[in-house]
Amino acid sequence: MQQRATVHMRLRGSKRRRKSSHLSDFSRHRATPDSTNTGGSRSLTGNMATATANGGSITFINCKGLKDIKKNGYYNHREKNGPRTGVPSREHRREAFEQPPMYVAVMTYVGFALVTLFGYFRDFLRAVRLEKRHLAQEREEQKNFVPLYQDFENFYTRNLYMRVRDNWNRPLCSLPGPVFDLMERVSDDYNWTFRLTGRTIHNVINTGSYNYLGFAENNADSLKTVADKVQQYGVGICSTRQEVGNLSLHEDLEKLVASFLQVEASMVFGMGFATNSMNIPALVGKGCLILSDELNHTSLILGARLSAATIRVFKHNDMHSLEKMLREAICSGQPRTHRPWKKILIMVEGIYSMEGSVVRLPEIIALKKKYKAYLYLDEAHSIGAVGSSGRGVTELFSVNAADVDIMMGTFTKSFGGAGGYIAGKKELVDYLRSHSHSAIYATAMSPPVTEQVIRAMKCIMGKDGSTQGITRIHQLAENTRYFRARLKEMGFIIYGHDDSPVIPILLYMPGKVVAFAREMLERKVGVVVVGFPATPITEARARFCMSASHTRAMLDEVLHHLNEVGDNLCLKFSRRK
Amino acid sequence: MALGDCWKQLSWIYYQYLLVTALYMLEPWERTVFNSLLVSVAAMAVYTGYVFMPQHIMAILHYFEVVQ
Repeated sequence: MQQRATVHMRLRGSKRRRKSSHLSDFSRHRATPDSTNTGGSRSLTGNMATATANGGSITFINCKGLKDIKKNGYYNHREKNGPRTGVPSREHRREAFEQPPMYVAVMTYVGFALVTLFGYFRDFLRAVRLEKRHLAQEREEQKNFVPLYQDFENFYTRNLYMRVRDNWNRPLCSLPGPVFDLMERVSDDYNWTFRLTGRTIHNVINTGSYNYLGFAENNADSLKTVADKVQQYGVGICSTRQEVGNLSLHEDLEKLVASFLQVEASMVFGMGFATNSMNIPALVGKGCLILSDELNHTSLILGARLSAATIRVFKHNDMHSLEKMLREAICSGQPRTHRPWKKILIMVEGIYSMEGSVVRLPEIIALKKKYKAYLYLDEAHSIGAVGSSGRGVTELFSVNAADVDIMMGTFTKSFGGAGGYIAGKKELVDYLRSHSHSAIYATAMSPPVTEQVIRAMKCIMGKDGSTQGITRIHQLAENTRYFRARLKEMGFIIYGHDDSPVIPILLYMPGKVVAFAREMLERKVGVVVVGFPATPITEARARFCMSASHTRAMLDEVLHHLNEVGDNLCLKFSRRK
Repeated sequence: MALGDCWKQLSWIYYQYLLVTALYMLEPWERTVFNSLLVSVAAMAVYTGYVFMPQHIMAILHYFEVVQ
């Protein structure tokens, strides 16, 4: 304790780079690898456990003095994100990332290697004109020009994706609610071209839409206010917010969002992706530092790159890595000049949609307060979907919303609309109104969509006079818990926090990924499968999104089919008891 | 009937083989090419083993001085 206090004072005293304090601090850090990060975080999480290092093995002693070895499978080396953060907060004992048996990883690589070899073989055949080329080609007269189409860059698309692309971009012909209708399409030349047969596959259960609270509905009664607004305002605004596009409807929505999130003010934008990518450049610039999580969404990465700030990536949900980077940044300052950073911004998401994992919010807030950094929280998937009244991860962890500097979210997922918002202090939102690209140049949100979001938010808050909102939230939570419990019971490997409605089932092998999607469609369940490059190459998965509009019967049917397909394809890799 | 069950079991095993080696993603003629290569390599290994096994066994026994 004594030593830590001295280091603290030294760091606060001067921001100039001090080689001695830097190194001695690090050696101290390494000597006690499993002690808590900061005094601040310990008190904030309220966790009474302390850790002692005992040669090679680590034992935890909780407040009752009992030993806590091998709790929840942390130390049997099957869990990836195990004891990395020293003392985990109570919430995070409910996350697990199980590793598959060794033969699965080996066969995944073997499978990819085989298809790659055949890819080279087919490219060779195409080069010697034994096979017809289907992709775009330059004209003969332009062969000596600078090449337009780089052949190798599209190797993966040509030789792996094209073979199996009938599992993606399937055409729907109905509302994508809890069930939808698909148009049947077949391919005669191995997925280079498709043709519709004219038949429709009816009532396919939808496990892929981000329809968390079931607001993707076309019931005429619930959409009455939306229809009224269309009659009043029309559908297109034909202007930006700054010019003639600022409707009173937008102001209503902004006030509603601010009161929903319990912050001072908010601003809404027409597109969720653009909310991130166009507003981050307005907030940070050259001379600032962005610490971004490994698994952040493309919109956050794009926004960070556009802003010209320095970007450093910390390991997913790893607080040791984040703290180490913060200390290094504050000690060394900007590269080459060693001036202090103008701003340090930590960018994280509420729920990571590919893993289903939840951010460690209390620890990050403790770190940000200690090192005086700012926090940008992207709640695209978690707003409306987690928390006892749907207010997102701040409610899940009982954290004060004023601690998060910039709260961002989208209306696409839980609210059944389109667009995004940024909320926080009034100064921040006022600054964004005049400095953000999205606010100045992008077309304002369309009136029916705005009204849909207003009605959905009022429903969740209970302001429309019914208990439908809270019923939906409870139904979603119950569906999530039930589905996750049954999947674990069946023996699938699933990732993520127990409360997150995004449930990835790991499939690993490319052949199985494709067969899974096709077989589930035959059984009239629509699933979304994801492989490389959206996920690491060995971790292809099927992602299930729970919805409040799924009934227990639908979930049981999906589970029954999953059981069958899991047995047919040998997908039950879990070795947990 | 037992033959039918046997056939079903074998075709399920072949399906698993296709899935695990990612041959499921390839076109039928590519599967034929790969399977023929695999079968020919395996056949060559078995044949070589068959031809040279007596010599190998005699050499081992000679090394351990069991026979002269």
